[in-house]
Amino acid sequence: MMETMEKIQEIMGISIFEVFEKMFYTFLEPSDVMYGDYDVGADIVFNGPVSGSVRILFSMDMANAMVQNMLGLKDDEITEDDTEDCLKEAVNMVCGNLFGKFDSTEVFNLSVPTFTRQPERLEGGETTRRMDFDSDDGKVGVIVALSHQ
Amino acid sequence: MSFNVLIVDDSKSMRGVIKKVISISGFKMDQCLEAGNGKEALNILADDWVDVIMSDINMPEMNGFELLEELQKDDLLKNIPVVVITTESSEERMQYALNLGAKGFIKKPFLPEDLKKILYEVIGVSDDGDYGEDTGDNGDFDF
Repeated sequence: MMETMEKIQEIMGISIFEVFEKMFYTFLEPSDVMYGDYDVGADIVFNGPVSGSVRILFSMDMANAMVQNMLGLKDDEITEDDTEDCLKEAVNMVCGNLFGKFDSTEVFNLSVPTFTRQPERLEGGETTRRMDFDSDDGKVGVIVALSHQ
Repeated sequence: MSFNVLIVDDSKSMRGVIKKVISISGFKMDQCLEAGNGKEALNILADDWVDVIMSDINMPEMNGFELLEELQKDDLLKNIPVVVITTESSEERMQYALNLGAKGFIKKPFLPEDLKKILYEVIGVSDDGDYGEDTGDNGDFDF
């Protein structure tokens, strides 16, 4: 379990950077600070050789920048639906990219992503890893939790 | 010569991105139709002809695999090239999509160049935007 978690954490750092650069034109930098004030989040549950969940947390300025960059909208043109849809697509892409790199010979089933406002804070642990990132546009946090099988 | 494109994805944001990228890629697009799932796509195809379909896999109501199966059942619709655009990570599932008749696939996240290249490949025009006549367009991006 520990080895799997370490591998997933390592790949997650690559995947989230890749997705944010290509789709949202945002460059993330790993942060040593564990932020506690994220505004919105998107979750996905995965099942396969390894099962668990991924939650990506966003500060509101980051979420707005992502929508603007992805859809080419101005700040006052962004609707709540745009934000929700964009962030759900972000977690979907990050997870697809993650498991493609983790093991593309295996099938991982991903749930339909869900969106949350004022998401609960989760700490890292044996089966949970927390990563935080900074960018010019705002903050992003990632929580990967593995299920006991 | 310009082409009609059908984008099938349950994410409105992703449909917007794909549409935007196709528009700026130099690809000669006439109509761009959108569907939120395979069922909506079939409804559109009942009334409108398209030259290429770009479809996601994981969608509610009718997913991309089911859409490919339905297209193969129709003598006319099975000739429309389908490009699968997906977050799917499994090689096995991508091969399955190709076996069901998809002409190619592209993984999200993608670069505009990747999308342009595969569109040209499946429609059968050259990568420099040559449609067999002088369009005056070199197909370059202009960001």
